[in-house]
Amino acid sequence: MYDTYGGSFGRFFAALVPFGMALLGSLLSNFPISFTNGFLPAPLFGLMPVYFFGLLRPDLMPAWAALLAGAFEDLVSGGVPGIWAMAFVACYMFTDRQRDSLAGLAGFGAVVGFAAALMVAVSTAFALVALYYWRLPHIAPVAATLAANVLWFVPALWLMNKTQRQLLGPLRGDF
Amino acid sequence: MANGSLRVGRPRAAAQISLAVCAALACVLIFLGRVQPTLFDRARAYASDRAAPVLEAVRTPIRAAGAWAGSLADVFHVYQVDLKLKDENARLRKWQNLALSLQQRLKRYQLLLNAVPDPEIGSVTAHVIGRASRPFLNTMIVDAGRREHLKPGEAVVDDRGMIGRIFVVGDHTSWVILLTDLNSRIPVSIEPGNVQAMLTGDNSGAPLLVGSAQGARLRSGQQVVTSGDGALLPAGLAVGKLYWDGGDFRVALFADAGRSGDVRVLDLKLPAENPPAPTANDLPVTAAGLPPLKPAVPKPATPTAQPAATAALTQAQAQVQTQTQAHETGVAPSRPKHGKACDTDCLNRKELRQSVDPHIQRLRPAPASQLPLQQPPPPDETSPDDQ
Repeated sequence: MYDTYGGSFGRFFAALVPFGMALLGSLLSNFPISFTNGFLPAPLFGLMPVYFFGLLRPDLMPAWAALLAGAFEDLVSGGVPGIWAMAFVACYMFTDRQRDSLAGLAGFGAVVGFAAALMVAVSTAFALVALYYWRLPHIAPVAATLAANVLWFVPALWLMNKTQRQLLGPLRGDF
Repeated sequence: MANGSLRVGRPRAAAQISLAVCAALACVLIFLGRVQPTLFDRARAYASDRAAPVLEAVRTPIRAAGAWAGSLADVFHVYQVDLKLKDENARLRKWQNLALSLQQRLKRYQLLLNAVPDPEIGSVTAHVIGRASRPFLNTMIVDAGRREHLKPGEAVVDDRGMIGRIFVVGDHTSWVILLTDLNSRIPVSIEPGNVQAMLTGDNSGAPLLVGSAQGARLRSGQQVVTSGDGALLPAGLAVGKLYWDGGDFRVALFADAGRSGDVRVLDLKLPAENPPAPTANDLPVTAAGLPPLKPAVPKPATPTAQPAATAALTQAQAQVQTQTQAHETGVAPSRPKHGKACDTDCLNRKELRQSVDPHIQRLRPAPASQLPLQQPPPPDETSPDDQ
């Protein structure tokens, strides 16, 4: 009986971790913290778990979770509702279609893979914002966002790998 | 990261369908945000209100650490900074004296000309507890809201100049849209010359100047202030200095929103405009086709409530009789033009008759021979009809 409850709890907890990390990332991105004194914009911490777990554990990060994470990002950042939701879904689509090539990447290649997915997300958001306001946004902040995200993905990757191996890996049999 | 073995078998078609549904939902979200922006604004205000204690708790140690680190670096420049501040202080004192004398002169001129006084500007000081600097967004959250009487549209300034405007107000937090944001558009005036233009953000560090008058001669270095058009922002708030970037005129902002810790929210207290007084034709009674009510006459101090009730009874009887006669003879005193209005009118009359009839029966004056002798009630008693 204990095992049953323990197993259920573990399964429930593990199912929440990737989505919770995405929400936490979105919250962190909007905290009034700047380690570069405003030189680099805040990275999209919420997108990193969507990419990573969407690639490795799509059972724990389904498409609707990516949509909700994007909508939460829209909510806490104060932007146009739906822009980042669509961008996150586009990133998830790209990851889903390119899973075979992206999942085999390691080291620097993994960062390049994320940069490609990030480019898809940011390009989608850029196009939507341009359509929404009917004028082109400035390109420099977009480039700065890409750079900041790629830089921050390295420590975030270590953390997500650790979570995947030590927390979610042992519970894999439960899913 | 190499984990091709972690493929999870799932039907491809189902995954594609779910992706398509999610994309469609995102489109719906964008559309909803366009047609119902207040829905999301309320959600944002609620979320920021709930997250305010956490943001405040995070902000405090970070500010302390930043101030400590900054003070370490300043130790090596204390002497130079001291000399510079003394020099600046001396210059500012001269300007202060000049400004005070000019202010007095301006007041005298305004009195002489009987000029309309400038509107009073109130302010609320707030702390910045959140900041979002994104490729398509530049906002901040401050810890003052509806409880401090903030309203959307109010200007936010720091000690150097204007930062942005309030756009969502929660109970005790507010969202500020910065001048650099893609959504920001404020009317400005370029001094000297009083050239009117619009300052529009494009998410770069320096907002763009558009819509200036044809033939207006602009030069780099001119000062940009708010024009006050639209009566939402106070006129004359310092914004920045004009410069030419090779293709457009942009404004280098005085305020640095990235470093502002405390800001002031300005409330332009314009005199309230009183709506026109309602006329008899605006009253719903008249709109319903009934004769307009007479102005209330102060009730004479009568020992009994009987005369007042009798007067009301007589008036109601006369009204019902008039309406009944009009109904019987088929000649209405004032017939509405449209059939629909006539139906409504008739219904109103029927309701009126039904509500008045019991009172008529109750208060119908009996013949004088049947009336018992009534003692006047005590002065503090009132009849239920009067209440």
